[in-house]
Amino acid sequence: MIVDDAVFMRNILRAIINDKGYAVIAEAASGIEAMKTLHDHDPDIVILDIILPDVNGLDLLESILKVHPRAKVVICSSISQEPIIKKALDHGAKAFIQKPFTPEKVLEALEGLEA
Amino acid sequence: MDMSAYRDLFVSESRNHLNAFNELIVQLEGNTSDQAAINEMFRHVHSLKGMAATMQYDAVTELAHRMEDQLGRVRSNEIAFCPSLADLLLEGSDLLSGMVTAIENGEGEQPDATNLIERLESFTPAPAASAEPPLATPADAAPETPAADSPPDEHRFRQSDSFKSVRVKTDTLDRLVNITGELITTRHRLMDRARRYTIPALNEPLHHLSGLLRELRDEVFKARMLPFAVVAERFPRLLRDLARKQGKEISLQVEGQEIELDRGILEEITEPLVHILRNAVDHGVEAPDERRATGKSPVGAVTITVTRDKDHVAISIADDGRGMDSSRLAQKAVEKKILTAAEVDTISRQTALMLVCTPGFSMATEVSDVSGRGVGMDVVKTAVHVLGGTLSIESEPGQGSRFILRLPITVSIIHALLVECGDLTLAFPVNTISRTIELRRDDIFEEAGRKVFALDGRHVPLKSLNRLLNQPPPRGGSPIVPAVVNEAGDSVVGLVTDRFLGQEEIFVKPLGLPLSRMKNLTGGIITGDGQIVFVVDVSTLV
Repeated sequence: MIVDDAVFMRNILRAIINDKGYAVIAEAASGIEAMKTLHDHDPDIVILDIILPDVNGLDLLESILKVHPRAKVVICSSISQEPIIKKALDHGAKAFIQKPFTPEKVLEALEGLEA
Repeated sequence: MDMSAYRDLFVSESRNHLNAFNELIVQLEGNTSDQAAINEMFRHVHSLKGMAATMQYDAVTELAHRMEDQLGRVRSNEIAFCPSLADLLLEGSDLLSGMVTAIENGEGEQPDATNLIERLESFTPAPAASAEPPLATPADAAPETPAADSPPDEHRFRQSDSFKSVRVKTDTLDRLVNITGELITTRHRLMDRARRYTIPALNEPLHHLSGLLRELRDEVFKARMLPFAVVAERFPRLLRDLARKQGKEISLQVEGQEIELDRGILEEITEPLVHILRNAVDHGVEAPDERRATGKSPVGAVTITVTRDKDHVAISIADDGRGMDSSRLAQKAVEKKILTAAEVDTISRQTALMLVCTPGFSMATEVSDVSGRGVGMDVVKTAVHVLGGTLSIESEPGQGSRFILRLPITVSIIHALLVECGDLTLAFPVNTISRTIELRRDDIFEEAGRKVFALDGRHVPLKSLNRLLNQPPPRGGSPIVPAVVNEAGDSVVGLVTDRFLGQEEIFVKPLGLPLSRMKNLTGGIITGDGQIVFVVDVSTLV
């Protein structure tokens, strides 16, 4: 599942992810939408942007893991401040993809989850 | 992954962000303490930056980044939002919009943002107490500053960007062609009724209608036309990469890129062209050493030439490589049991070269000079025929090969010659006919067991269209034998039929199953009197 408010980013991510044989089963453009979609689709992996229109991605991360502890959350953001990345990983995110990303970086992060 | 596929998406998303951004600036000017609006603006410019960075549009990324920095300062209350900052941000937004337009138009050149970036970097808000003078805009900063003598007008619309063109979905264009086609069919029906019930009063408005429909058709097609450059722009890179893999050096020249074709046709021929180019690199052009040994320049030359005559476009792809040996091709056809030894003796050079387009003529795993050529060439030939075009091949061993695709400029609405053949009425696309001829019985004579007639000093074989299509033979000995003369490469044939019915503009519709399996037909039309007429795939009959 992809959570990002930019259609553009969702499309590119979907193209990259599909290209590598993963299936994108749901997308959400906001925190509220994400929580709803999560409930309906039960995804294995959630790719999550930090800057969202309605909620902070880090708060959303906590909410996601509370109701759906099995989900592996990958943070995908242009925020590069170490403390925020560290905080996300401390709160249960499994990986971090720095925006702008290359297809290889995305794949690397996803493959890291399986290992 | 090819990011260029996302260019359109980038352009439309960027516009959305910039429009929202502009509205927010104006909103903020009314209430400079609107924190939510500041956050929103930050988010828009931040998203734009991220998208641009992903697409590697560095100029956009850089400018958006500077704007984001200033908004970040406002957000953290380091500075207050003020009119001079609003001016700078609006200027930035305009410049970004100009950049997005340049990207949309495929222009390499981006508007220069250096000056604005410097001013953004060094921005310090004026002391709150003093009145804000509007920030003067240096003439070289904005992409579209007004000419020096035009009066300054803050609310001038940027006509060049916004109003002169609109984006239209290709689906809409396809629907327009369909509707136009149906209108043309309806006009035929009206004319048919007017004739049948003798209503002279309809003649004038029908005549007018015909004129308008012609105009409509032309305009609709014009809207669908794209320059060949749209597909050609990816070829230099493709050829370079392919050549490098093979340790070859090849220069590509494309002539006539500006010539326009219907987007449907461009779409269909892109892959065939890639096939031909790939073959030219793999099998046509020799390795540098081999070229040097034969006295050629080590750098191979591939030339794509696009030319247009009245309702045709010819695309020729030529290489100066090792060429193809027609006698070896013929020999191979015998080995593969495609032709018998006796048949091989009678075929022309041109026909022998066309053997590479026979399905199964060669396997992808074979890489010898002759065999490899067959890879995908049958697909190329089929694609060209489906479009109502023709493919021909010229080649000289040691000199290189040339593949020529002759294509109609537009699809679906075409001029056709209607002929009667047994119980059927058939349509021959005019561009597939080299001429029509009405022979007298004594014009026809026998030669080597075939019926032939003389045309421009050569003997052209005649075939019965009725027999080819399992129709009853022409009724009762008319003194005149009508024949449609078709040429494919250097083979010419006259197709004898019952009667010519005349030329008409027709709207071809694809045939559904099972009719679409018939190999001699490409489509169908409905005539004015409701009759169904099939469009003939001439290449399968010659």
